[in-house]
Amino acid sequence: MLAYLQNIAVLFAINAILAMALNFIMGYAGIFSLAQAVFFGIGAYTAGYIALNVSDSLLVSMAAAMGISAVLSMALALPALRVRGEYFVAASLGLQMIGVTIFSEWKSVTGGLGGLVGVPPPVIFGYTLTSTSEFLVLALLILAGILVVSALLVRGSFGRSLMALRDSESAAQAYGKNVNTVKTLSVAVSAALASLGGVIYAFYMSFVNVEVFTLEMSILLMAMVIIGGTGTLLGPIVGAAIVMALPAALTYLPFIPPGELGTIQQIIYGSAMVLLMMFRPGGLVGGRSKDKTV
Amino acid sequence: MTMPQHDEKVLLEIRNLSKNFGGLQAISDVTLDLPAGVITTLVGPNGAGKTTIFNLVTGHITPSSGTIHWLGEPLMGIAPWRIARKGIARTFQDLRLFSHMTVAENIQTVMERSSWLWQRQTQDMTEKLEQVLQETGLIDKRNARAVDLAYAERKFLSLARIMASDSFLWLLDEPASGLDPRSFDRFVELLKTYAQRGVTICIIEHNLDIVIRLSDTVAFLDQGHILAQGSSDEILKDPHLAAIYFGDR
Repeated sequence: MLAYLQNIAVLFAINAILAMALNFIMGYAGIFSLAQAVFFGIGAYTAGYIALNVSDSLLVSMAAAMGISAVLSMALALPALRVRGEYFVAASLGLQMIGVTIFSEWKSVTGGLGGLVGVPPPVIFGYTLTSTSEFLVLALLILAGILVVSALLVRGSFGRSLMALRDSESAAQAYGKNVNTVKTLSVAVSAALASLGGVIYAFYMSFVNVEVFTLEMSILLMAMVIIGGTGTLLGPIVGAAIVMALPAALTYLPFIPPGELGTIQQIIYGSAMVLLMMFRPGGLVGGRSKDKTV
Repeated sequence: MTMPQHDEKVLLEIRNLSKNFGGLQAISDVTLDLPAGVITTLVGPNGAGKTTIFNLVTGHITPSSGTIHWLGEPLMGIAPWRIARKGIARTFQDLRLFSHMTVAENIQTVMERSSWLWQRQTQDMTEKLEQVLQETGLIDKRNARAVDLAYAERKFLSLARIMASDSFLWLLDEPASGLDPRSFDRFVELLKTYAQRGVTICIIEHNLDIVIRLSDTVAFLDQGHILAQGSSDEILKDPHLAAIYFGDR
C-alpha cells in the first residue's frame, strides 16, 4: 500500500512540475500551448539517452535536458512572437504533432516506437537513487525548487513584464517592453522547467516511450492548470493533485464495476471541468470572478 | 530618464506624413511640429486621423510616406518599445491597463525597462512609485487590481503610468473623457504641473474645456488633413471649423 501511494506521489510531483512549467507561459504570459508534452518528452529522451550512452549523473542529465529544451523551445517561441490566442493554440498543436512524429521515428536517438529501455538509475554526488521513496524525495525537492524559482520570477520585474504582455501587448510595447525578448525567455524557461519532469520520469520508470508524450498529455496538463487556477503559484499543484487523485480515489469506490471505471472517470472529469468553469472560472486557487479587460 | 542634449527647440518633427489602409486615406500630407515645453492639442471630428498620428509616431503602424524625426533622428521603422525608450510615451483611448495587475504593479512595470529575467528595484523607483500614487490620489488603491477600479480611477491610473515612465513627450489620447467635474479639475491640474516640470504634451481631446484650459497651440484635423493650426481662441472661434466639428458643413 505504501509503495502504491509513493508511486502515485512521484507521478503527482512529475505532473505538478509539468503543470507549473506550463502555467508559467499560460497563466502569466497568456501563451496557451498544446505542446507541453513535447518538452516533457525532450527531457525524458535526453536523460535516457545520456544515461544509456554518456553518463548516469543526474546533474549532467538535468543540465543537458534543460539546455536542449530551452534551445528547442525556440520552435515554440517563433509562432508565439507572431500570433496570439487561438492562432497560437493551433500552431502549438502542429508542434505537438511534429514532436510525437520525431519521437517515434528518430530511432537512433529515441528508440522509435519501442523507446529507450533499461535506463540506469541516476547517480548524484556518488549516491545511486533506486527506491521509490528516494525518487519521491528527489521529485518533491525539484518541485519545491521550481516553486521557489517561479515565485521569484513572477513576483519580480520579469513576472510583471509577462503579465503586462498578457493583459495588453500594445501597451507593454508602448512602455518600453521588448515583447520578443520577454516571450522568448518565458517559453525557454517554461521548456527548461518542463524537461526536469521528463528527467525524473525517465529515471524513475527506467523506460521512455512516446505514448506518454502525446497530445492527450498536453491537454491533461492544460486541464490541471485550469482546474487549479491559471496565473496562480499553487494552482497547478492543486490541479495536478486532483487530476492524479481522482482515478486513484475512484478505484476505491466499490459500487463502480471495474469494467466501467475508465468510462466513469471520463464522465467525472468532463463534468468537473464544466462545473468548475461555470462556477469558478478562475480555478480552485484563482478567484471566482470572470476575467475582464480594461 | 534624462532629456538628451539637443539644440533644437522642436522635439518631434512630422513632415508630409501619409497613411493608407488599403483604399482608405487615414492621414494625408500631415506636417506638424511638437516644440519642447508646448502643450499641443489635436482636435477634429471622429475619423479625422488623430489617433493614427499617435500610432505612427509610436511605431505601432508604419507610414505610407513622409517622415517623423525625434530630436533630429528618424523614427520610421523603429519598434514601439525602442521608441518608448527614447522618451516618447502614450496613453490609449481604451486605456489598455494591465487589468489583472494591481495599481502599484501597473506603475512599477512601466518603470522597469529591462526585459530580462531580473531587474533590481532601486530606491529611486520606490520613491517615484510613492510620489505618483500620491499625486494621482491612488495611494489607498495601490493593492487593488486595475480591473476593479472605478472609471475615474482607471483614467488616473492611465495617467499614473505615463507619469512614472519618466518620458519627456506625452501623447495623451482623450485622457479626460468621461471624468466627473471634480476629477476633471484634478486631472487638468496634474497635467499643468507636469508641463511646468518640462514635459511636452500632445493631447487628442473632444472636451473643449480641456482644449481651452491647457493648450498652447491647437491643430484642427479633418479627413486626414490638418486644416488649421493656431491658438485655441483662433481655432475654436472659427465658424468654418466649428461647422465641420459639429457636422453642420
